[in-house]
Amino acid sequence: MEALKSAFDFSDFPRSDLFVAGALVVLLLVFPLFPHSAFAMATVIQFFIFSLYGMGWNTIGGYGGQVDLGKAQYVGIGAYTTAVMLIRWDIPFWVSMPVGVCLAVAWSFVIGFPLFRLKGHYFAIATIATSLVLKDLFEVWDFVGAARGLEISPIKYTPPDFLRLIFREDIYYYYVIFAFFLIGIFYINWFRKSRLGFQLRAIKDNESVAQSLGINVHLAKVKTYAIATAFVSVVGSFHACYIKNIEPEDTMSLNISILIALMAMLGGAGSLWGPIIGAGILIPLKSYLKEWLGATAGLVGIDLILYALIIMIISATEPRGIWGIVERLRRRKPN
Amino acid sequence: MPLLEVHNLVKNFGGLKANDDISFTVEKGELIGLIGPNGAGKTTLFNCISGLHPVSSGRIVFDGEDITSLKAFDIARRGMARTFQVYVASGDLTVIENVMVGAFMHTRLRTAARSRAEEILSNLNLAELTGYRVSELPVAAQKRVTMATALATGPKMLLLDEVAAGLNPSEVDEIMSGIRHVHNDMGITVMLIEHVMELVMKISDRVIVLDYGQKIAEGQPRQIAGDPRVIQAYLGERYVREHSQELT
Repeated sequence: MEALKSAFDFSDFPRSDLFVAGALVVLLLVFPLFPHSAFAMATVIQFFIFSLYGMGWNTIGGYGGQVDLGKAQYVGIGAYTTAVMLIRWDIPFWVSMPVGVCLAVAWSFVIGFPLFRLKGHYFAIATIATSLVLKDLFEVWDFVGAARGLEISPIKYTPPDFLRLIFREDIYYYYVIFAFFLIGIFYINWFRKSRLGFQLRAIKDNESVAQSLGINVHLAKVKTYAIATAFVSVVGSFHACYIKNIEPEDTMSLNISILIALMAMLGGAGSLWGPIIGAGILIPLKSYLKEWLGATAGLVGIDLILYALIIMIISATEPRGIWGIVERLRRRKPN
Repeated sequence: MPLLEVHNLVKNFGGLKANDDISFTVEKGELIGLIGPNGAGKTTLFNCISGLHPVSSGRIVFDGEDITSLKAFDIARRGMARTFQVYVASGDLTVIENVMVGAFMHTRLRTAARSRAEEILSNLNLAELTGYRVSELPVAAQKRVTMATALATGPKMLLLDEVAAGLNPSEVDEIMSGIRHVHNDMGITVMLIEHVMELVMKISDRVIVLDYGQKIAEGQPRQIAGDPRVIQAYLGERYVREHSQELT
């Protein structure tokens, strides 16, 4: 009961923030009802997807300060679980999604227990490595289609199929992922004020101090890593139904991992709104850059250059991202 | 039964014996001062007792239980709290949130942790700082906040590592009354590392002196101040001359 109350309690934010957030939610709610291009629709759906990835990353990476650059492996586990179960055994999304979460979380324990013995950059590098290994495995594993990947053919089903999450129009996907998005916000709002949320921030501050306050630092990290994983895996499952064509290169590449971390870092790691702000900037940027420049020969990699630039600027100027800048400006103002 | 027993504790760092065969006991309700020159191994001793460093040999018994090989968080959960000499808050947490981290040791509920934190803060006269970020506070206040955070875990014993270092005399008085409150009113056994002799000598029931990793003396403040080895190793002739009246 208290948890539910806490999830819906945003009272520690200034009124103005909540007003802006509320206005944006209403805007997003009615957006599909107005005339829009398919491209804009797809971009907003990507925004939701990456916001959720970022929110998940933010638990361990932002609140916990453990920079994780291997989240794509869990996107892959979620996406492949749903795709394989649907294609092979016709098992609906709402069953395969939790199964995917269980598998992803189980894998996160296998990875997390040894990896959290490492600290800082070493941890980050190790997460990259595990993710790449898993991707390579999937690329040669015939059961999951190897490098060709898997294709969910919508012809077999009669859309709109709410059980299997097979739709012909994007608007259905839009509202489904929008619902996940809102649930995600409420969950993180609870999480940041929960015991684990507090413990993580203490761990980020100073691990020795955290230990001396009775916090099992290693276990707290592993637990949070599992939470981050669950987030990513759920969205991975959705991604499979939405994209319908998944292959290791698309779902599990290092690019995705970096992009996920970047959302949260740009917007503000360790803040509730950070990943959403980050995704709100980066996803449209990425889509439109691809649209405008990607076609021009020689400019294909320009978005990657841009990400690198953003990482450098953030880490040099404001490690707490855009939200950090907002908070700094706000505090400078006399109350 | 003593609350804390340390038997023949040895801690090596490579070839360096940071703690060399140290034994002592602390009774329930005592206030023990731990003094000695820089590098004598005082903080190492605290780190061994609180489980942050594994000991090289020896045995530590806390409240009747052998805690020698327990992890730091397990020791903390058994009622041993501590503060740190150098603690730089990164600045995300406010004072109340910081203290809540400690209070969360015994409850999952945020409301319970919050009310416990509020109670501790008002007990230590820190209530007016509640909403500040720890990093915004002056050092003296930060030290009192870390003490409050440690107390929020509800310890049987509190290890204080140089809580008065770098404070001005009026701040030292404040922290001293804070320690007295913890010891007398809350009934918590206290062991403190301190270089501020006015504080140690005034409030300690017993003082333990370390030098080069070894325990060179132990006794009441008055005996310690008169011990020639302690004077030579740490206090210096001048201190004894200037304080001879107070100490006798």
